Amino acid sequence: MLVAGHLYPDLLNLYGDRGNLIAFARRCAWRGIPVTVREILLGDPVDFRELDFLFIGGGSDREQGILAEDLRRHRDNLREAIEGGLVVLAICGGYQILGHHYQPAGEQVIPGLGLLDFYTQAGSKRLIGNCAVEVELDGRPVRVAGFENHSGQTFLGRVEPLGRVLAGYGNNGVDGLEGARYKNVFCSYLHGPLLPKNPRMTDHLISLALGRSGQDPTLTPLDDRLEERAGAAALARLGVSGT
Amino acid sequence: MAAKLLFAISCGKAAGRGSRMLGRPGSSLPGKVALKVYPWTLRDLAARAQQGTILVTGTNGKTTTNNMLARILQQAGARVICNREGANLITGVTTAFLRETTLFGQIEFDWAVLEVDEASFPGVAAQVDPRLVVVTNFFRDQLDRYGELDRTVAVIRDALGRLPRAQLVLNADDPLVAQFGELGPSAVYYGLAPHARVVERRFRVREARFCPLCGATLNYAFYHYSQLGLFRCPNCGFRRPAPEVEGLQARYQGERVACTIRFGEKEFPLELPTQGFYNLYNALAAFAAGMTLGLEPGQVVPSLETYEPATGRLQRFRYRDKPVYLNLVKNPAGFNEALNLLYTNEGAKNVFIAVNDNVADGRDISWLWDVDFEMLETLQGEIPGFVCSGLRAEEMGVRLKYAGVEPDKIVVEPNLKAAVSHTLEGAGRTAYFFATYTALWPVERILRSQVAPDRRYTNAGGGPSLS
Ligand SMILES: [Zn+2]
Repeated sequence: MLVAGHLYPDLLNLYGDRGNLIAFARRCAWRGIPVTVREILLGDPVDFRELDFLFIGGGSDREQGILAEDLRRHRDNLREAIEGGLVVLAICGGYQILGHHYQPAGEQVIPGLGLLDFYTQAGSKRLIGNCAVEVELDGRPVRVAGFENHSGQTFLGRVEPLGRVLAGYGNNGVDGLEGARYKNVFCSYLHGPLLPKNPRMTDHLISLALGRSGQDPTLTPLDDRLEERAGAAALARLGVSGT
Repeated sequence: MAAKLLFAISCGKAAGRGSRMLGRPGSSLPGKVALKVYPWTLRDLAARAQQGTILVTGTNGKTTTNNMLARILQQAGARVICNREGANLITGVTTAFLRETTLFGQIEFDWAVLEVDEASFPGVAAQVDPRLVVVTNFFRDQLDRYGELDRTVAVIRDALGRLPRAQLVLNADDPLVAQFGELGPSAVYYGLAPHARVVERRFRVREARFCPLCGATLNYAFYHYSQLGLFRCPNCGFRRPAPEVEGLQARYQGERVACTIRFGEKEFPLELPTQGFYNLYNALAAFAAGMTLGLEPGQVVPSLETYEPATGRLQRFRYRDKPVYLNLVKNPAGFNEALNLLYTNEGAKNVFIAVNDNVADGRDISWLWDVDFEMLETLQGEIPGFVCSGLRAEEMGVRLKYAGVEPDKIVVEPNLKAAVSHTLEGAGRTAYFFATYTALWPVERILRSQVAPDRRYTNAGGGPSLS
């Protein structure tokens, strides 16, 4: 039994974000692991410590402003949950909000939640396109593909990157790093969405969520030929080979 | 006549002869070349209209609304220039004029009826000075090309603000469109009254939950689909305007979609030779534009009832005894409506979906995950097979798998020709083909070579342009 939370699904729903939750829930269901998906709406009471998996997607600038205010009320609770090992996947705008701040061009700094050590500043050009990243999961390299579309450029402090850019821009188009990783929190600019065509990453998150809630984290293998073909096709569009 | 314009016309037409040899329909090369030679080509040619220019913009329904309106005007005896087949950037619009211009620069027409891409709207509007503008709706579409929806809406709003003389025809049911009412002299609204849908689904695609004027959350008494419906802002009082043209009792009549048009105090029955509730919106928009131009309902309704769908707008073919439909898909709202069509025909059907990720399709295909393919989970008993094709065939297959479609029913065949044949040979009584923009033309060509257009649904002599 796992409880997955979808944070502000009506606000943070750009770029097919809900596909990540669909993938998480389906891959649990195919293995007979019951999953409840809880939609957390603006103003809802929530205790993040009771969740096993939290998904935060991306939104437009306007929507991000609305929710940042609401989310600030939950900040201490979310910090506690993250320190306690809550599994989080945060994409694009959801990623940026976990950092210290967002600096728009020529405007006032928008404070973030400051839960992870990084910041984001507006770049001069939008970073758009297919993107491939090499991520290490359980000590093994995995190549994942997705699509990025962001004007913010993120610079990491004392957190690990999610992976190294093989093709595309990643966090800022400069340092070759993509996303961020802290405890069980995984942040990325890749949507597309990220999880469906990268089943090993999805399973890694499911495994961590099971382990954290005291359940057996070993997963029965599934037939992933279709997903692997899709992942390989996306990598091939970028001239990158799969692993 | 300005020598520059004449030179631009001859260069554009020469480029057109070259590109026609390549057999590419909907080419915009002539306009591109002419505009390069002389940037005011479009302005100068549009100024020759005896009556004026009409622009149709918005996310979905542009092509159909535009073609319906062109047909209405033609059948009322007007000479009409129209950009068909979705060539709706400034280059495509210019090409439509060049096609009807002689090498000596002669062009005679009453109306130019033009569908215009949202991002191209300000540029085109600045050149043609439209007499009337129809705005259909706003949905998320090809995000990587346009940025966010808010920005698209703002672009149209700003452009309309610079056209104080243009008569606006607006969709009353879409808050993002209805807000433009105060920009024009006196907007005319069209809309659909609440109705009992054949298939009632709860759509998750919600584009605008917030009041475009004050930002408060909108209340809805009824949803048609997406954000279209009977809305009201509890904070500032912004609400669905009472439409002058309203579709009542929308319903399916066999394979046709029907409603009663209320125009002022009078009512007129309307039955379209096509499916899809969204086509009622298109017809109501064209009807409202016709009324605004002073036409008679008795003239307009027959034109709509004999309308012939354009390429890929539920275009109908016949393969042996099997009805075959081809429909363009380009965003979640439109794809959801297209999937709903699968519920309207009884019996087994084969489904083909081709997804490309070229620039014209939108490089980012993540919008497929915002389409409610989950509705297929309960319908798959009636669907012997799904064929996924195009450049991103594999990912489309994954989408269906995660929507709950049995993997055995999913065939991934990137090659379009093989995929089309496989679908036509399927066990279904009907076949539905869905394709993104750059996959549409090749699929149509392949279908044409294997099937016959369904004559029962085509109108002889409904030719596209003036001769
Ligand atoms: Zn309001």
